Amino acid sequence: MVQFLIKRFIGLIFVVVGVTFITFILGYFAPGDPIRDLLGTHYNLQTYLALKHAYGLDLPWYTQYLNFLGNLFRFQFGYSFQYQNRPVASILAQGVPVSAELAFWALVIQVGVGVPIGILSALRANTWLDTANMGVMLVFYAMPVFVLAVFVQVFIVWIDQHTGASWPVSQWGNPWQYTPSDISFKLAPILVFAAGGAAFFARITRASMLDVLRQDYVRTARAKGLNERAVIYRHALRNGLIPLLTVVGLSLGTLVTGAFFIENVFNIPGIGYETIISIGNRDYPVIQATVVLLAVGVVIGNLLADIFYSLADPRIKIQ
Amino acid sequence: MDTKDKNPELSSPGVMFPDTSITPLEVDELMRPANGVMTEISPAEPGVEPDIEKVGPRKKSPTPLQESLRRLRRDKRAMASVCVIGFFILLAIVGPFIYQHIGGTYQSPINGPIGPSVYHSPFHQELTNQDLSFSSMYWLGTDDLGRDLLARLMQGILISLTVALLVEIVDVGLGVLVGVLAGFYGGWIDQVLARVTDIIFAFPGLLFAIMLTGIFGTEADVVFSNVPLIGANGDARLILVSLALAITVWPLMARFVRGQTLQLKEQQFVEAARTSGSSNRKIILRHIIPNLFSIVIVASTLNISNTIIGEAGLSLLGLGVQTPGSSIGLMIAQGENNITGYPWEVLLPTIVLTIIVLSFSFLGDGLNDAFNPRSKD
Repeated sequence: MVQFLIKRFIGLIFVVVGVTFITFILGYFAPGDPIRDLLGTHYNLQTYLALKHAYGLDLPWYTQYLNFLGNLFRFQFGYSFQYQNRPVASILAQGVPVSAELAFWALVIQVGVGVPIGILSALRANTWLDTANMGVMLVFYAMPVFVLAVFVQVFIVWIDQHTGASWPVSQWGNPWQYTPSDISFKLAPILVFAAGGAAFFARITRASMLDVLRQDYVRTARAKGLNERAVIYRHALRNGLIPLLTVVGLSLGTLVTGAFFIENVFNIPGIGYETIISIGNRDYPVIQATVVLLAVGVVIGNLLADIFYSLADPRIKIQ
Repeated sequence: MDTKDKNPELSSPGVMFPDTSITPLEVDELMRPANGVMTEISPAEPGVEPDIEKVGPRKKSPTPLQESLRRLRRDKRAMASVCVIGFFILLAIVGPFIYQHIGGTYQSPINGPIGPSVYHSPFHQELTNQDLSFSSMYWLGTDDLGRDLLARLMQGILISLTVALLVEIVDVGLGVLVGVLAGFYGGWIDQVLARVTDIIFAFPGLLFAIMLTGIFGTEADVVFSNVPLIGANGDARLILVSLALAITVWPLMARFVRGQTLQLKEQQFVEAARTSGSSNRKIILRHIIPNLFSIVIVASTLNISNTIIGEAGLSLLGLGVQTPGSSIGLMIAQGENNITGYPWEVLLPTIVLTIIVLSFSFLGDGLNDAFNPRSKD
């Protein structure tokens, strides 16, 4: 186990270095001169050089990269080009709670809805219920998240216009607070965000459960006279759900990229939204910080999922 | 030659999922048992069905390709998808030429008398005709700048298909090249591939594309503006978009191809070729690559819907096609601003995108079932 952890950890470091390096080098070769843009008409050589030095942009690239890495480890992401004296960390601090809340509830609903649907479908395999379930799920998960978002928005607008309600189609409300008005903001984005993932979980759960139900030990359990409930809940379900651990790790990636679209379609001030604004402003430190944070988060999430997977399933050989 | 798989990290996609950038569809492929369906084809097998024997000994048994196409033709969903895709390809390429010749001269309050070649152009703004509904002049209405929605839609579909084509060219080219070399020779190429795929899979694909197009987008507008056909009308950035999307997908193709190559090179016909003195180059070109056909066609078709989603998504975020150009994503973004008054303007591109994406997914699934019949339960 220790060996496995060490090996995975080395792999993790390699990937993190690769990811941070790609992020850094793209920012390094980014066209234009942000300091020059920043100064605008107030340009003079002395301030220009002073600012360049202040942002550490006059150093050779490898020193800049090492600084970049070192700062990352201390959670210092430097200063925004756009808002002087405003650390990137404070910009992130506004967006992260919102994005985290969105992703958290989306994941909860994905698992909470997708897994039961998958189980139900597997237990009623090849009946009309299963076919209907899987048909709907197929459409949900093949559709890009922003398409569903648009449909839901149009629907909400239609409801508003025909009932006189004022259900909002954009903005977010206060993070992690659930007054009726907050919920009215959050309900639609979270449900839309969850739909694709729920469909994904349902399909994986169904496949995994069907696989388990065909195993010999399930037949044995039935043969020794256990009632169906015990067979399913005690024998099949526990094993059937193990593969979902890796899927949770996997869905982190889609949660991250999906958030960009959801936040931009619904105008939610999370980090995806901030990043797109920063791109418009050529605010490279903010872009780099968000991308690195998200990518490293996904990598670590995957690692954790792998570890839990191997802990949960002793059949997985640990190398 | 050492035929053992030296790279365990690449060889077991069925157990671990280091890949975070792949979409549910692809994951579903990987989830199927026995180390992925894609790698389980043995193309040398004739695939003879019992009832063929009854027809008579003179009848030649069909080649595996013919068998697969026959299976595909029986798949109603896949064939419907082929029709839909064909319709949209025709619409995107031929549609504009026809549409720009339909309709009489229009006496514009601003621009004077104009013919259909002007007001049916996707870029022409007829500012007195904003947000119109369907009419014989504007078949699908106009947007908030008085541009013809059908014309913009056809242009947008063309953009989506162009990007899909560009991305697949890079995807298949790089993926097959690297995958075959890594699978056939192993060694350092294999190691490098493993590391590169690790990193690229760790990056959520669209995140990388967002970063690349976000940072180099404005530059690309200038650099590629002289490229013929695609450089005009704010489309120049498409080349960057295609590049960004291609970079994120080719490792998956390379991985599929590598797995298939590993299996192929142990087949007897490769052994036979080697015994009869074929060089490695000849074995790869004559025996390995032709046998990758099915895996490549399935993987790339499934990937097309992701590419189209990716391009639309980037354009939606303002990172793809720029105004006055048209793209389905851009139409959605512009329709969003008008959603309370004229929801049709956002619904139209969204519905079309859904249909295209679903068609490619269904076709990919159908191809997979047709080429890898054993993958079906």
